[in-house]
Amino acid sequence: MSIVVQLLINSIIAGSIYALIASGFSLIYSVAKFMHFAHGAVVTVSAFILFFFAGMLKFPFWLSAILTIIFAALFGLLMNLLCYRPMRKRKATNAVLLIASLAMFILFQSLMIAVFGADIKTVRLGQISTGLNVFGGIITELQIIIVLVSVILLVLLWLFMKKTRLGKAMRAVADNKEVAQTVGINPEKIYNITFMIGSAIAGIAAVLIALEQNVEPNMGFSLIIKGFTGAIIGGIHMVPGAVLGSYLLGLVENFGIWFLPSGYKDAIAFVLLFIFLLIRPQGILGIKRGVNNK
Amino acid sequence: MIEAYLIHILILICIYIVLAVSLDLTVGFAGMLNMGHVAFFGIGAYTSALLTLGGTPFLPALIAGAIMAGIAGFVLSLPTTKLKGDYLAVATLGFAFIIESVLKNWVSLTRGPLGLPGIPRPEFFGITVSSQLGYLIFSAVVMAICVFLIVRVEKSPFGRMLEATRDDEVAASTLGKDVYKTKAIALTVSAFFAGIAGSLYAHYISFIDPTTFSLLEVILLFSIIIVGGLGSSKGAIVGAIILLILPEPLRFLGFPSSIVGPARQILYALILLLILYFRPKGIFGRVELGES
Repeated sequence: MSIVVQLLINSIIAGSIYALIASGFSLIYSVAKFMHFAHGAVVTVSAFILFFFAGMLKFPFWLSAILTIIFAALFGLLMNLLCYRPMRKRKATNAVLLIASLAMFILFQSLMIAVFGADIKTVRLGQISTGLNVFGGIITELQIIIVLVSVILLVLLWLFMKKTRLGKAMRAVADNKEVAQTVGINPEKIYNITFMIGSAIAGIAAVLIALEQNVEPNMGFSLIIKGFTGAIIGGIHMVPGAVLGSYLLGLVENFGIWFLPSGYKDAIAFVLLFIFLLIRPQGILGIKRGVNNK
Repeated sequence: MIEAYLIHILILICIYIVLAVSLDLTVGFAGMLNMGHVAFFGIGAYTSALLTLGGTPFLPALIAGAIMAGIAGFVLSLPTTKLKGDYLAVATLGFAFIIESVLKNWVSLTRGPLGLPGIPRPEFFGITVSSQLGYLIFSAVVMAICVFLIVRVEKSPFGRMLEATRDDEVAASTLGKDVYKTKAIALTVSAFFAGIAGSLYAHYISFIDPTTFSLLEVILLFSIIIVGGLGSSKGAIVGAIILLILPEPLRFLGFPSSIVGPARQILYALILLLILYFRPKGIFGRVELGES
């Protein structure tokens, strides 16, 4: 019984982390209509920036965290301005943008190895706690914070998209760029804002993951895999779908390693992805439109 | 010394030409955003290496590697030929990760992350190709045969059907062509040749481990075919030569070895970005990525 509780807790923690990555990824996909794999690089570089401020310069943690999140937002904005926007101007297809985003992913990951080295870094707050006992399972305070931050952020994002003018403008561009343009919305401006918001969420995720796990150059890779798997199985065209998919992925992965060696954790994600691509490519909450659009 | 080094680069160029020309069959000719090519490269390498380590002669092992890769390509085509654009990219990339994960975790067969050392050099009719020069000649011959066959496929009526499918899938199917079958054959053939490249690689380097077949390799392969130009075998060949020679000066600039590896990846990524930015059609390209 306690194993089930523990696996459930682990699933929720993993799902919360994946949801933070997936929500930014699917937000950018739904508005800009291409897969921004370099989103994973935003997480990696942000985690190193946190390590740089908190671990190397010994800034107070809260200040380092704020600087990291601001950095992440600017980093996402710069990627859009310097790479994607000129390519879009030349009418690049979304396949070109996808390959470009993979190239940027490798570029920044390799840059982190070159600058900081390939070894594992840690950022820690205070003592390592033994954790609280919940129905026979163990959860640490940090993990509770991760789940809470994740849930609060996702609710805020949802409210922002539903209620504010800017959120509505973003959804309008996501829905139909040309029509949005005719009512006076500037899509390029909306793209910039989308990249900033999505990347800022990735920055927050990076801070939490750096505390919970380690900082290493390859960290963004497995995270973006989980992020986009979660996004696709839930329905990449909408953020709530991506969040739902992420929690489902967390569950399947953690209960899956009950039966399989833990090394197969990443493969489980992809088997799930394949099943969805076969039987429901639009995702759980997705609508059919768009799957076959280019 | 310098001679051995040059021969080493030339052998790798031969292997990557096979990989690039076969990848171009799917990406350039069929217009499929196939990111799983490394998986077939890996399957060919592991199959051939494991068989020869188990005592099978080289030639049957090479053919078995190619056939295994081809079967994997066919299996991948079943769920993916109906997917388009981004979704196809994600599914094929996912397939590559699953294969990498299996290579890492099926320890009893592949020795996992430890890799397979001591893969023997090719031997046929009692002659072992042990010298560097001998291996260069051998791989150049294999490369020439593979390129010849792939170009024959591309120039055949089937090749024109592939291009028709790429340019307008709906129009091709209204003419009574089975576009899904066409794509499935393209993926299978492309995987078959990637398997041959894998076998060539394994028996040359004599050591393989799962990291050889990772995402970094996908970026290199895409850089090669995009720099050379999609839909052009000449482009894939020139691209392979350029991209394998380009990072070599890094070795002589006196960087520590911990920097050379990442610097190489940074160089490849930058080249790919610059070519997508300034000349998305590459040197000899006729089509743009994902165009239709």
